[in-house]
Amino acid sequence: MTALRILLGQRLRRDRLQLLFWIGGTALLALFAAVAVAQSYGDPVARDQILALAISSPAILVLRGLPQGGGLAAFVFFEIFTYLALLAGLMSTFLAVRHTRGDEESGRAELVEATPAARTLPTVATLVHGIGANLVLGLATAAALVLGGLELRGSFVTGAAVAATGIAFLGVGMLSAQFLRTSRGANGLSVALVGLAFVLRGFGDALGTPTGPLEMTSAWPSWLSPIGWGQQTSAYTSDTLIPLLLSLGLAGVCLAAVFALQSRRDSGASLVAERHGRADARPALSSAFGLAWRLQWGTILAWAAGGAAFGYLAGTLASLVQQAAGSDPAIVGTLESVAGAGGSLTQTLIGALFAFVGALAAACATQTVVRMRQEEAAGTAELLLSTPVSRGRWLAGYLVLGALAVLIVLAASALVAALGLLSAGEDAARIGDAFAAAAAQLPAALVYLGVTALLFVLVPRAAIAAGWSLVALGIVLGNFGGLLGLPQWLRDLSPFTHTPVVGGSADAGGVLWLSAIAVVAIGASVVLLRRRELGTA
Amino acid sequence: MTTASVTPVIQAQGLEKRFGRVHALAGLDLSVSAGEVHGFLGPNGAGKSTAIRILLGLARATGGTARVFGRDPWADAVALHRRLGYVPGDVTLWPNLTGGEAVDLLSRLRGGTADKAAYAARKKRLVEAFDFDPTKKGRAYSKGNRQKVALIAAFVTPAELLILDEPTSGLDPLMEAVFEGEVHRAAGEGSTVLLSSHILSEVEQLCDRVTIIRSGRTAETGTLEQLRHLTRTEIAFASEGMSPARLAAIPGAHDLTVTGGRVRFTADTDGLPAVLGALATLAVRGLTVAPPSLEELFLRHYGDRPAEGASPGAGIGTGTDAGHRPGDAAS
Repeated sequence: MTALRILLGQRLRRDRLQLLFWIGGTALLALFAAVAVAQSYGDPVARDQILALAISSPAILVLRGLPQGGGLAAFVFFEIFTYLALLAGLMSTFLAVRHTRGDEESGRAELVEATPAARTLPTVATLVHGIGANLVLGLATAAALVLGGLELRGSFVTGAAVAATGIAFLGVGMLSAQFLRTSRGANGLSVALVGLAFVLRGFGDALGTPTGPLEMTSAWPSWLSPIGWGQQTSAYTSDTLIPLLLSLGLAGVCLAAVFALQSRRDSGASLVAERHGRADARPALSSAFGLAWRLQWGTILAWAAGGAAFGYLAGTLASLVQQAAGSDPAIVGTLESVAGAGGSLTQTLIGALFAFVGALAAACATQTVVRMRQEEAAGTAELLLSTPVSRGRWLAGYLVLGALAVLIVLAASALVAALGLLSAGEDAARIGDAFAAAAAQLPAALVYLGVTALLFVLVPRAAIAAGWSLVALGIVLGNFGGLLGLPQWLRDLSPFTHTPVVGGSADAGGVLWLSAIAVVAIGASVVLLRRRELGTA
Repeated sequence: MTTASVTPVIQAQGLEKRFGRVHALAGLDLSVSAGEVHGFLGPNGAGKSTAIRILLGLARATGGTARVFGRDPWADAVALHRRLGYVPGDVTLWPNLTGGEAVDLLSRLRGGTADKAAYAARKKRLVEAFDFDPTKKGRAYSKGNRQKVALIAAFVTPAELLILDEPTSGLDPLMEAVFEGEVHRAAGEGSTVLLSSHILSEVEQLCDRVTIIRSGRTAETGTLEQLRHLTRTEIAFASEGMSPARLAAIPGAHDLTVTGGRVRFTADTDGLPAVLGALATLAVRGLTVAPPSLEELFLRHYGDRPAEGASPGAGIGTGTDAGHRPGDAAS
């Protein structure tokens, strides 16, 4: 027991800040959602309109949840639960991989396994740690919803659903870690599974059947997803905890497999063996840019796939809403009050969805550039810079790649959106809108490219955390600022707030400012890196 | 080329590097002439790697001057890097690049692959010599194998200067021999080599001149012969039949101890003829005379042994065991 306590204490200590952010962030999101819904949709008529619109256009259901009547609390659950569950899933898979495969890969696990703690106890400690984190997450979410003015019972059912989803994905993450040799691979697999759960639930709800004017039941795909199971608790209406048994059951099955596999394999080994590669490099691998591309093309394509998914939503959603709204002017009014007026309804919707594509592009740019800091800390940058590659050229390679990555993400989304619009029978002008909406995201994404590069040059040690924090802050203030009822001056701090709206009043000033900031930041980072020493870990 | 042969390849004077209040380098002098293999010795934390990072232009000196091929490494890093090869002390590789790909990348960046066939032949020879599997991913290599990647990349492209920072710390003895062969080959082709190490036998085997640094300062520099002159020769013989009175007759014996049936003492190199005469009259048996090894030079600077003038026969000497050293002269 002493060994378990020590291992648990070490995990808590290592994660204390990280878990504080995950749990605090999730609880804050729940609180903001409860408060904002009460403010924006306090009027039951407005809520009913939105729900009617959602039921008539399944693509909205993909991004929200399953309508369970027009009650205020049930509406909050409809709006936010899937996102709370998504965060719980990501928190849990990262936690699981970090303390199992991550430690094994770095060799830390070997040190611990050589003590009487042996091979199984670290896994048990990770399990206990992960379950504890999810229980705290569930309680914090429930408390936040109660604080936001919602009923006690339903809030705790929501909290339990969030925790159960997290625990299910804890099992999924730990199982992924058994299969793959690297924490990068295990994280990639488990994040993909969390995303799959979100998409399955989205399709299940979109294909659901209305059971009342403002209520629906899901189709079968929702029942394949832990996020779907959490949603089936129908918190604040029927408040049933039974679907959560499925989540706990999945966790149980995964964990049984984890312990069975671990008792059969060597420490550090994996079920999917590491493949051998080429003995000689391809011709493209002959410059700093070639290396940057080689290291990151997979990640960039993953971001582009995300952009394409949003593009698909934009393409299909816009025409669906057009059809629905055509028959009901009340819906048009409500929608324009939500998404902001200006231009046609289709243009507004495309713009609203492409705001998320912009956030993806910015995140992709940030990830591309923070890789430099990882290279610097690992020591591979030193190897590279001992050859005739200057620091400026090294940075330029990453900046070019970052800009290219932004273009790829935006182009993928615009292309898929255009195909969606075409197949829905929209006219060619709408296709132009899709490309214009994508192009409008460029300046804000380039601001992130430049600012992250500048952070890397000026405060290398803090660059990764600061870069991602700025992305999160920009999304919260810019994309959710309206939903959360934040004051305009605060929303204006986000680059995404200044992205021009297609078909709306042209915000040329915003574009100019964003472009100027991007250019200055990029230029300054190149000049300043020439004067900076190469750091170490 | 005439200027290169006159000015030293590496010239550092009073080199200083501060990190906050820590003085990693506090007045390092280092001079390496063209064509020489120069040993750069010092314990962990003495500032060897910091000095090398300055010579590579990866870090900037806070005081003193550094010149490589007569140029400022910070300002002219790219031009200098065309002429040198580097093996870091702690090699990390790109996790998803194979060892072979990493070698190719570094060689292409250094411009060593212009003649493709010749490059491929050199790479093949080195991969075989180092018994290296170039198809594994970077994350799968052990420390020694990561080091082989950097060594192959350094040796595969001819360089005017090789900077090697503890290049053999992860290699087995067999591979160390291969490494030494490659250094000899590179030096034979005219490369200048700066070899940082704390493996003394390696330095004794390879280096013409040595600089020893301690706490960021140059403690000693010169040829091995010059440095040996500064220390004493270690002499030992069987203690059977010896009495303190008889031993006292040996002139210029320092740190004399009698332990484990052996009499041990050290003598100044200049006073050796007189000592040998005295030993002849004592008719000693099992005599060993060991020239000062680098290890002793090292311990003289870093060891905790009483520096000078310890009384003969007093206590246990903390000097090293001289029993199994290459170059021992036994009678």
